[in-house]
Amino acid sequence: MDLKKLAWKNLHRRKTRAVFTGLGIFLGIGTFVALVSLTSQMEGAVQDKLDRYGANILILPRTEQLSLGFGNIALGGTEVAHATLRVKDKKAIESIPHRDRLRSVVPYFLTAAGTSGKEVVWMGLPAEEIPTARPWWKIFGTPIDGKEEVLLGSEVAAALDKGPGGTVTAYGRAYRVSGVLRPTGEKEDGMVIADIAAVQALGRKPNAVSYYEVAALCKDCPVEDIVAQLSQALPGARVSAIRQVVESRREAVDHFRKLGLGVSAVVLAIGGLMVFVTVMGSVQERTREIGVLRAVGFRRRAILSLLFWETGWISFLASGMGAAAGGAVSLLVAPHFGVETPGIPPVPLFGGMLLGMTLGLLGAVPPARKAAALSPTEAIRTL
Amino acid sequence: METFIHLDDVSMIYGGNGTRTAALQGVSLRFDAGEYVVVTGESGSGKSTLLAILGGLQAPTSGTVAIQGVPLAALSQDRLADFRRETIGFVFQAYHLLPYLSARENVMVPMSPLPVRAKEKAARAAALLASVGLAGKEERLPSQLSGGECQRVAIARALVHGPSVLLADEPTGNLDSATGEQIFDLFSELHRRGKTVIMVTHNERNLTRATRAVRLRDGLVEEDRRLSPLVPDGGTRTPGG
Repeated sequence: MDLKKLAWKNLHRRKTRAVFTGLGIFLGIGTFVALVSLTSQMEGAVQDKLDRYGANILILPRTEQLSLGFGNIALGGTEVAHATLRVKDKKAIESIPHRDRLRSVVPYFLTAAGTSGKEVVWMGLPAEEIPTARPWWKIFGTPIDGKEEVLLGSEVAAALDKGPGGTVTAYGRAYRVSGVLRPTGEKEDGMVIADIAAVQALGRKPNAVSYYEVAALCKDCPVEDIVAQLSQALPGARVSAIRQVVESRREAVDHFRKLGLGVSAVVLAIGGLMVFVTVMGSVQERTREIGVLRAVGFRRRAILSLLFWETGWISFLASGMGAAAGGAVSLLVAPHFGVETPGIPPVPLFGGMLLGMTLGLLGAVPPARKAAALSPTEAIRTL
Repeated sequence: METFIHLDDVSMIYGGNGTRTAALQGVSLRFDAGEYVVVTGESGSGKSTLLAILGGLQAPTSGTVAIQGVPLAALSQDRLADFRRETIGFVFQAYHLLPYLSARENVMVPMSPLPVRAKEKAARAAALLASVGLAGKEERLPSQLSGGECQRVAIARALVHGPSVLLADEPTGNLDSATGEQIFDLFSELHRRGKTVIMVTHNERNLTRATRAVRLRDGLVEEDRRLSPLVPDGGTRTPGG
């Protein structure tokens, strides 16, 4: 018989109280592990999904502002491009060290052309890449199939009074309207969209590219690294991260993480309070027993140790079970939250167990101190 | 005989919220090693308070208590706990066994915080239970033992550290007279083995076994008389001076 065994025996006798004490830790740690595991997995999934939803890096030809004037007379200025981008630049882009993080590299070519009697901007991009480059487009009609078909932005369709199945002409060439975009609120509402080769031919600039949109997966590497590598690969280009997109994605993920931690903190605080209340109740209930132990020679430290062993046993078991349950729950529900390859991250699992033990022992500090300070005189009055 | 316990002008006042009760009023007593003292008195006379003060469970409001020349007031709480464990064995009226532990485990409880091997603790507990007549009942829970047997377990627990003094507060108060006699016999046996026994009791019959009788009344020593040594064959006894 030692203090560990004495504590265990007492817990065994007071099963209901022990279960109730452990329940707080079990629920607290279970929730903590489930939420932290889930949020850490979802962080990646959310970031991946956000990264897939449109580009976050823009590559433009490098330009310089050239001021024009004569003496002190300013005549305005103009942008001078140092170099133009070409279709073959895609190879250079896809050869950077972080190429595995590049989900899509889409070339665009813009040109203005008289279309069915109106001057309209044509936007060209590879027809097969439209679903990945512009996943939010809703097409009334069918997607482009070949160089002879175009999509009309909603405003252009209204201005030209054309719809799916209609025809538009540019430079004497007829194009079939395969579909009309539902309003996006973007510039493409006022554009004709066609395969890039068709628009390059229309602008008489075969292989020219106005800009590249790059969708980079930035979960494990900062977008700045990718930008630097792209700048190195294309010295004549100006590469920039679309800060607003990057920051808003980071913010969305941060909010999610904070929500998880906030909920966990509240549940853990409740768990700690439950431990405090039940152990305090146990001390009150056992005043006589503690008095007897003091009378037979238990030092204050021995009383403290006894109560800490009791809470330690409960915390250990409840934390272990809570962490296992939380991990299992996160594993089960992760697919419903968009996590494609669910797993149990070890850090929240073992961190949760450690946290549960700490929480249990901290919750027991005030009641244990009260018990240890209990004078045998007070206890003896109840004997 | 050497003075084992020395109480000098000890008072104990309970009070609060305007009430004030003097449980002990200037009590001075000396107890020698090897005495068998029976403390009697009416309810509220201060018997149990005297016992609590003697055992270092309670500090007096005034006066000094010294055991083996060491004033208890000079000891820290931890030293006092060590002192209780090493020097004093308590026996309570209601036994106060831990209901979830077997007889053997209850006897082992005072040894729990000590770095003694489990086998050694168990052997010592078993030997003590045998010495109080409970051989074969070591694994029974208190609920499976009679009142007399529970008190024997409590006595074995009190003896586990080999204390030189046993303090017993109405040890037969919850027992029938026949069982009570057996417990008194046990205390007599322990006294014969050299223990100092100080027992609070209502039962005047126990005076026949004691070497000294102290009677308290309203917190004062009303009577303190020495009794003649025990007569082993149960013959007559003459009051001592």
